[in-house]
Amino acid sequence: MVEFQDEVRQMRKKLVGMMALVMLMSMVILAGCGSSKPGGNNAENNASQEEKKDELVLAFGSEPEAGFDPTTGWGRYGSPLFQSTLLKRDDELNIVNDLATSYEVNQDGMVWTVKIRDDVKFSDGQPLTAADIVFTFETATNNGSVVDLNSMSKVEAVDDYTVKFTLKAPQSTFVNTLIATGIVPKHAYGKDYAENPIGSGPYQLVQWDKGQQLIVQANPEYYDTPSYFKKITFLFLSEDAAFAAAQAGTVDLAYIPAAFSNQKVTGMRLESVQTVDNRGIAFPYVKSGSVTEDGLPIGNEVTADPAIRQAIDMAVDRKALVDGVLEGQGTPAYTSVDGLPWWNPETVIQDGDMEGAKKLLEEAGWKDTDGDGIREKDSLKAEFTLYYLASDTIRQSLAISVADMLKPLGIHIKLEGGSWDVIGKNMYSSPVMMGWGSHDPQEMYNIYSSETAGIDYYNTGYYSNKKVDEYFEKALHAKTEEEAIEFWKKAQWDGTTGLSGKGDAAWAWLVNINHLYLVKDGLDIGDQRIHVHGHGWPATDNIVEWKWTK
Amino acid sequence: MNTMPKKFPLNHKQWALAKIILAALLLALVIIGGLFLDEGRIVTNLTDRNSPPSLEHLFGTDWLGRDMFTRTIMGLTLSIGVGLIGALGSASIAMFLGMAAATMGKRADRLISWCIDLFLSVPHLVTLILIAFTLGGGFKGIVIGLTLTHWPSLARVIRAEVMQIRSADYVQVSRRMGKSRWWIALHHIVPHVIPQFLVGFMLLFPHVILHEAAVTFIGLGLSPHEPAIGIILSESMKYLSSGMWWLAFFPGLCLLIIVRMFDQIGENIRLLTSSDSNRD
Repeated sequence: MVEFQDEVRQMRKKLVGMMALVMLMSMVILAGCGSSKPGGNNAENNASQEEKKDELVLAFGSEPEAGFDPTTGWGRYGSPLFQSTLLKRDDELNIVNDLATSYEVNQDGMVWTVKIRDDVKFSDGQPLTAADIVFTFETATNNGSVVDLNSMSKVEAVDDYTVKFTLKAPQSTFVNTLIATGIVPKHAYGKDYAENPIGSGPYQLVQWDKGQQLIVQANPEYYDTPSYFKKITFLFLSEDAAFAAAQAGTVDLAYIPAAFSNQKVTGMRLESVQTVDNRGIAFPYVKSGSVTEDGLPIGNEVTADPAIRQAIDMAVDRKALVDGVLEGQGTPAYTSVDGLPWWNPETVIQDGDMEGAKKLLEEAGWKDTDGDGIREKDSLKAEFTLYYLASDTIRQSLAISVADMLKPLGIHIKLEGGSWDVIGKNMYSSPVMMGWGSHDPQEMYNIYSSETAGIDYYNTGYYSNKKVDEYFEKALHAKTEEEAIEFWKKAQWDGTTGLSGKGDAAWAWLVNINHLYLVKDGLDIGDQRIHVHGHGWPATDNIVEWKWTK
Repeated sequence: MNTMPKKFPLNHKQWALAKIILAALLLALVIIGGLFLDEGRIVTNLTDRNSPPSLEHLFGTDWLGRDMFTRTIMGLTLSIGVGLIGALGSASIAMFLGMAAATMGKRADRLISWCIDLFLSVPHLVTLILIAFTLGGGFKGIVIGLTLTHWPSLARVIRAEVMQIRSADYVQVSRRMGKSRWWIALHHIVPHVIPQFLVGFMLLFPHVILHEAAVTFIGLGLSPHEPAIGIILSESMKYLSSGMWWLAFFPGLCLLIIVRMFDQIGENIRLLTSSDSNRD
């Protein structure tokens, strides 16, 4: 009883103390408010909350500096916002109609006929017809930009609402060009289109302050489900600033790097989205000796040995990399297409297997004879230089961690950080830490086909496997994506050979980097599909589905 | 010297000497430490990341679990090494040009003075970045950049000193007695310029180290996995907002201390030599 009274007394004391504290604090806060905004603060706050219901502020790291012209590459990552495309992918990555009402491919896979809706208007009120589509694809071909239309020989309008594409060779991945290319208006396309985009997409441009922000508003002429938000502001902030803005509560969604993922921000939740934004090591596949047209050396004696590549692929502990370098915000990567419909799950290997890797090297004749901790085969030491992009912390961290991980295996990796210029000079003869990730299976062809060896950053290792090339050929000649998928899978691993770690291990894929967003409580960003390479923008893929739930 | 009547100047000098020795010892310790520290301590340890300073990791660990103490000491050693080469090169250029300006006639003097003015008219961090960038960055780029940018002030001091000595009576006498230019330069001028040179060299050192850190900070210098102090500091910036203060604090403090040490040595050498000349 005495104890109880004691407790009551103590509690009362605490309560008084707390009340005093609360009063003190509220006085301070009130005083603070009063000095900055005299009077009516609460009402104002409420008003702005009400107002906010149909507005959205997003903080993304990267700005599309080239502007918003789909014929030069805008809209490849994420929604094109201002334009709409013939086809699109839904949240499960199935191909569905957007502008198109149907499309068909003829018997030999060379002619694609697309029928489009007849009720679509651009944001300036003009109707969208087949002529605009022809104009878009012709302009994109002439611009010769990242939009790869090499495979298309001509595009023509059959009638006002039917377009016919003729290809040079059958290519099932051409469908991705139709998915990714926003249609521009023929009547309103000029030199400054990239800065004044007019399109048939869900939004129209209000204002673009380069280096600062982009403001868009809902397009009243949009033919599909209109956007929940009347106005959306994209702020282009550095990672630090975006995080600070999130903490201050001034943005509704912020793209943040993994380093900040462990910190809680009140009123916001962390959305970690699975991606194919992957990182891996591209190995030179051939022996050294030859040079490119520009005189750059090709090939590497050490990594040309399949045992070295497979041992590395086997010994790397991907889970540790995800936990250590990405703060757990990622997934182990085994191919460049993990989790996508054309991914072959058989490519998953048992990694972190140091003993298996050692055995593999021993059997291939790599032994440490002089006791310096590095294996040799004849007079060749098991060492190479791994290049990484110096300005990218994650690539740097992965490179350092992998080099340290493989030291016990007896493979010595020297590191060299550099700009793309430096990497470009060495990437055919040295392994490079690189990253890809796209919703287009064509990308796998680009980085593994012998046709693309040595072209830009595609297939830097001069990888070639006749069987794999055959599968690629079949996949491209398929009529539909479903048909092609089987061959894409076989190219990765068909039971005996393939481009993945079980086969030739032309790359050692390491991790897929989850994209992290701080999202304000009450903001529903829908079901995010597996994201592609790109900083922040992939989240906008389904931006028309976003809404406030409270 | 020992029979100086007043106690104070002697103490003053001893004090200066003691400071020099102390600073030199500390620097030597850092360099030796850097050379003998085990590379194994900066191996990544993904299970022990971002830990604050403790007895095991005096300066804490970074985001890959590398020991920051070891990285800092290695970074300082590297910085001192770069500083040494850069300062030595710069001081040599300054010595040569200063002497040449003062002894090789009017035209050479005008040309060299013009060069000095030219280099001094641009902040040398800008010139340094330009040179380092042109040479493609890296260790070579930085060292050559540092060497080529830090000589002008010292060259001007040496030129003035040589001018002064050249017009001194004993030099004039020596010349009238038929000694050659080289003989005069070697026997009369160089001995007087050496203290200036030493002081200038020591005072260049902190300057060069700071600029090395600055250039690596902006990413023009070495690969970012190498333990250079500028790289460590620029990395730490990214983690400041997540509260990992030790990544910036200790390396920054160490850089400050090292730079102060060199500054002290330079200052005190100047004190020692100038008090000598005062008593002449």
